[in-house]
This record gives sequence, structure tokens and C-alpha cells, in this order.
Amino acid sequence: MKKKIIVLVCTGLLISCSSSSNEDSGTGQNSNNPPTDSESGSGNVTWSIPQSQVLDGGPGKDGIPALVNPNFVNIQSINYLNDTDFVLGFKQGEDVRAYPHAILDWHEIVNDNIGSVSVAVTYCPLTGTGIGWNRILKGKETTFGVSGLLYNTNLIPYDRETNSNWSQILNESVNGTLLGEKADLIQLFETDWKTWKALYPNSKVLSNNTGFSRTYGISPYGDYNTNNNRFLFPVPKDPRMPSKERVLAIVDGDDSKAYRFSSFISQNIIKDSFKSKNYMLVGNPNFIVSFELDANTEELIFEYVYNGSEILLKDNEGSEWNVFGEAVSGPRMGEFLKPAPAFMAFWFSVPAFYITDIYVN
Amino acid sequence: MKKLFLLIFLFSVGTYAQTCCSGGVPLSNNLGLPNEGKGVFVVGLNYDYNNLNTLNAGTEKLDDNSRQRITNSVLLNFGYAFTDRLSVETLFTWVNQTRTITQFGNENFTETSGIGDAVLLIKYSIPEILGKRTLLNLGVGTKIPFGESDILNDQGIQLTADLQPGSGAWDVLGWFSASKGLNFRPSATLSATATYRFTGVNNSYLNNTATYEFGNEIQTNLGYTDQFLMFNTLFNPGLIFKYRKAFEDKIDDFGIPNTGGEWVFIRPELGAQLTPQINMISRVELPIYSNVVGTQLTPTVRFTIGVTVKLKPKQTNILNIIP
Repeated sequence: MKKKIIVLVCTGLLISCSSSSNEDSGTGQNSNNPPTDSESGSGNVTWSIPQSQVLDGGPGKDGIPALVNPNFVNIQSINYLNDTDFVLGFKQGEDVRAYPHAILDWHEIVNDNIGSVSVAVTYCPLTGTGIGWNRILKGKETTFGVSGLLYNTNLIPYDRETNSNWSQILNESVNGTLLGEKADLIQLFETDWKTWKALYPNSKVLSNNTGFSRTYGISPYGDYNTNNNRFLFPVPKDPRMPSKERVLAIVDGDDSKAYRFSSFISQNIIKDSFKSKNYMLVGNPNFIVSFELDANTEELIFEYVYNGSEILLKDNEGSEWNVFGEAVSGPRMGEFLKPAPAFMAFWFSVPAFYITDIYVN
Repeated sequence: MKKLFLLIFLFSVGTYAQTCCSGGVPLSNNLGLPNEGKGVFVVGLNYDYNNLNTLNAGTEKLDDNSRQRITNSVLLNFGYAFTDRLSVETLFTWVNQTRTITQFGNENFTETSGIGDAVLLIKYSIPEILGKRTLLNLGVGTKIPFGESDILNDQGIQLTADLQPGSGAWDVLGWFSASKGLNFRPSATLSATATYRFTGVNNSYLNNTATYEFGNEIQTNLGYTDQFLMFNTLFNPGLIFKYRKAFEDKIDDFGIPNTGGEWVFIRPELGAQLTPQINMISRVELPIYSNVVGTQLTPTVRFTIGVTVKLKPKQTNILNIIP
């Protein structure tokens, strides 16, 4: 019997070398299915970001299911949002849509088609960043999924056309065949539900009838958004501001400039320059928007005329502009202010990715 | 006939091993080898399959089976009784964990395997202290972090704590069991066990950038077992109710959402004494109440099968000793 025990122990030791493996397999039923590793080279371990800081977030690839062309309903049908809940807004012509954080908390990416625009509304609940990307990559439309990986606790989407991984806050592919490719930004507008309803009462809102069973309206992250000390993954902290303070960040190359809501208490329009470019920022307690001023708009004198409805600015030529920077009346009707490369974020996440200055009045 | 039962049990193991894998190492479930008397050495070998395919929000079961976690564990116990009251038990584990996401017509599969953590438990038995035909056992022990807790996937990405074979932390265990033979039915026993796990901290989590602590855990069992003889073999059927409460995990000393919860399981089991030295046991564990914190995968079914072998020291026949 003793010999048998020894054999058992030895057998156990022989098979006990620690190991791991990962596999993707696709049925290839439609173009949205990611190719297998062998097809796409996603087994490629070359990353443009420090690989040791890329972490498995836990749910696994597609464990957080991105939405594709989901259902929308009118504002009156929405019963899962409170006035203080945030939404991301997008406008294309007369089609105005809202993507509530309450849905994005559970799906992180919405692949949508609005008119001729193929947009991926990406949202990372852990960095509070909502960023729109064009889904046309190298001339082909793709959809983005949630890779289940994180870098600096920020979402890493993957595109289903090539299986390349992307950094949301860097707006570029960081692994795979599209390594180094930049995402084309699509301007989104972030505000609270009460403000949005007044701004665009006829807009469409993402339905909670997504085809997935989730507790929409209950954050899966508890008090993460407001607790400055709670983090789920290691990330550098910058003590210049409370970690979870929401800021607007304008990014340019490796640099960024952050704008606080408190800067808009005494003024609603800030004109600032950053890396030799001129910007106009417009804000109030409920939102901040930013535009790059170019030769066509630099000489205009803007007045803040926001009263809760769509019109945000009026210029000295008599044109009225909305929150998306679109001239909706006056001689420049139909023109757009150039959107700044910017996004809303929890403060900590901006200096984690960029060399960041803070705007001071 | 006994060989037939042995074959049936072994065949069952093979069937489940081909079709399933495992997750969550059932350390507490597999502690408590009996003290068989001074000098007796006991060896237990168990296979445990734990399937988590149910997504809950609190007590509500969500209509989503796209995620599956399976843990396969091989558990090897050694027990030795120094006296009729004092004994020691060790538990070694080998763990295989899988995570399968089936979504959008695709399947993403992640797997880790390796030696898991081990347990060392010192136990003290006190018979008859709670009345006739009662036995009280008290134990204290530690969980030793033998298992790796920093395994990378094949892309070089470090996996999360709950996919690692080991926890990277020393835990302290308190263990208690009590049993009473029933007077109205001498073959029947009522038993209760409780385990409390005070978890330690993994100070080198994620390349030494964070600390991680699994939540403390309470587990209690209340069971009824009986005996019957069939085919010249003694069988021990039992029905156990298990309550488990896990507190939230912590990273850098802050609680992690969607960890922890309370569960009640029902566990029918059947043991068979194949010889005076060899016992086989099989258990199925099914959740009857699950209340998770936040939204979590929660156990769907667990299956365990094992064998225990007693090795008694050779008796010295004093009468035959020649002076």
C-alpha cells in the first residue's frame, strides 16, 4: 500500500506543472465574428504599450457584450434613468441619440449606424471616459468588442475585422495587425439626463431592451465613480486633483490639458491655447464642450446664450450654435466648429496616459 | 461484488473528467478526515468538479448563460492520529480552472492548471462530551500558498486572482465538527461542521503593484447520515445542508464590487465501505439559495468523488514474542 501511495504522489507531481492557455474559436457565420487567432495573428504578443501593465479584467473576451445596432426609444419611454445619470449624446443631421452610462456600464461599447456614420460609442466605467470612434478602418466597416483586457485600468476594445486590440484613451491600436493605427474620433457630448432631456426632447434614447439580461440602472461598480480611493486595478495616481473628479481633457500627441468644472463658475467661455493651437471651451455645471478655433472661426466673438434649450452660443455675425458646434441659424447655418480632440474623464486617468497640464483661470 | 462497485465509481470519474473541468478549490469541503485511533494513517483522494454557469444579480437569476467557469480539483489528504484524540491532517491540491465565454457565435476559452494551495490542520477529538454517542472535534490550521498566483496567459497577460491556482496568501483556519448517534436509530448520525477561514493578503499581486485578499469565509454543514447493508457492502447515504458566506475580496484594502455572497446548498451523498480499510464517497451539491453581492456567476452544480484508505500499524502479538 505504501508503494501505491508513493506512486500516486509522484503522478500528481508529474502533472502539476502550472500552465495556462487561451483559445478563440469562431463559427464565421457573419462578418462581425472575430477571426480565430491563427487567421488574425491576435496571438501576436507585440504591444506598443508595456505588456506587463496590460491586465485581464476578469470577465474575459466578450464577457462584457458590446451592443450592435441596438433598439432606441423616445425619451418619454425611459424609466430607468434618474435626472443625475449621465448620457453620451451624438447628433447626425436630425437624428439625435443618447447613450446612457446606465447601459454602457454593462456593455461598454455600442456599435451604431446613424445615417452614413458608423460609430462605436466606447465607454470605460473605470476611467469614466466616453469616446466615439469611426468604425470604418482602412475602408472596411467593423464592429468593436470588449477584449476583457485593461491598460491603466482603461478599456481595451478589439476590432472584429482584424482582432487588433486598441487603447481607448490613446485612441490607437496597441496590438495586432493594425498596431499603431489611429482611431478617427467622432464627437460625443456628455451631460446628465435632466439636461439632455431639455436640450433634445425629441431625441432617441438607447432602450434597456438590449437582448441581454442585466440590472440596468444599478451600477456594477458600487460607489466607484465617487469614491476617490476605490480602484479595482493598479494605476498611477496624480494628487493634483481628487482622482474621480470629472474633467475635460484635450489631447495632442503625448500631451494633454485638463479643464475643471470649477473653471466655469465665473465664466462660461474660456479661450485657451495648447500646443500652438487655439481652443474655445464652453461650460456650466452640467457639461463642458470644446472646439478648436481655426482661421475661419478665430475672429468670431461668441456669446454664451444657453438657457436650457439647444442653443449654446451666439456669434457677432448673428449665427446660433448648438452644443455639438453646429450653426443652427444665421449666416453660418450648417457650418460646424471644429471639434477639439477631447473627452470627459476621471482625472486620474488623464495623467496616467498623457503629460498633463491643468488649466488655471 | 466490491470490485464491481469500485469499477462503477472509477468509471464515473472518467465520464465526468472528459466532459467537464473545475473552479473554486473546495478546501473547506474536503477537510475532516476521521481520527481512526492512535497510529492510524489515513489517505484520501478526491476529484471535485465545480461548474458555475448561473448569472445572478442578488437572488435574481439572470437569463444569461454565456459565461462558464469550471474548476477541476484533485485533492489529496493525509491524516495521522498521534493519539485517540490528537491528530493532524494535510490537504494538497491540484487545480485546473477554465473560463469559457460563448457570445456572438464565438467561444473564448482560457485555462490555467497547476498545484494549488495546501492545508495543514491539527485536530483534537473529545468523545462523549455532549452526551452519549457524541463526538466533538476542534481544529486549527493554516492554508499554505503553494500554488502559483501570477500565471500569464499565452499572450503574456497576467490573469486575475480567481483564475490562479493559488491565492498567494497564508490563511488561518478554524474548524469544528460535532456528531451524535441517534438513539432511536443506532445506524443514523446527525452531524454538524463549521469552518471559518481568515484570509491572508497576497502582497505581490499583479507584478507586485497591488495587494489582494480573498474574502473571509464561513461554511457550515448540517447533515444526517445512515447505514444500510446491500450486496454484503455497508453503504452510508447522507443528506447535508450547507451554508456558505463569503465576504468581499479586497484589492489594496478596498472592497471589490461583485464579490462575496451567501449560499445554501443541498448535498446528497453516498458512501460505500468496500473493505474495512477502504471507503468511497460521492457527493452532488446543488444550490437552493444564492444571494450574491452585485452581479456574479454563481455555482450551478458541484460533484465530488473520492476514496479514503486507512492504514493501521501492524499489531504486535505479544504472546508470540520469544524472550
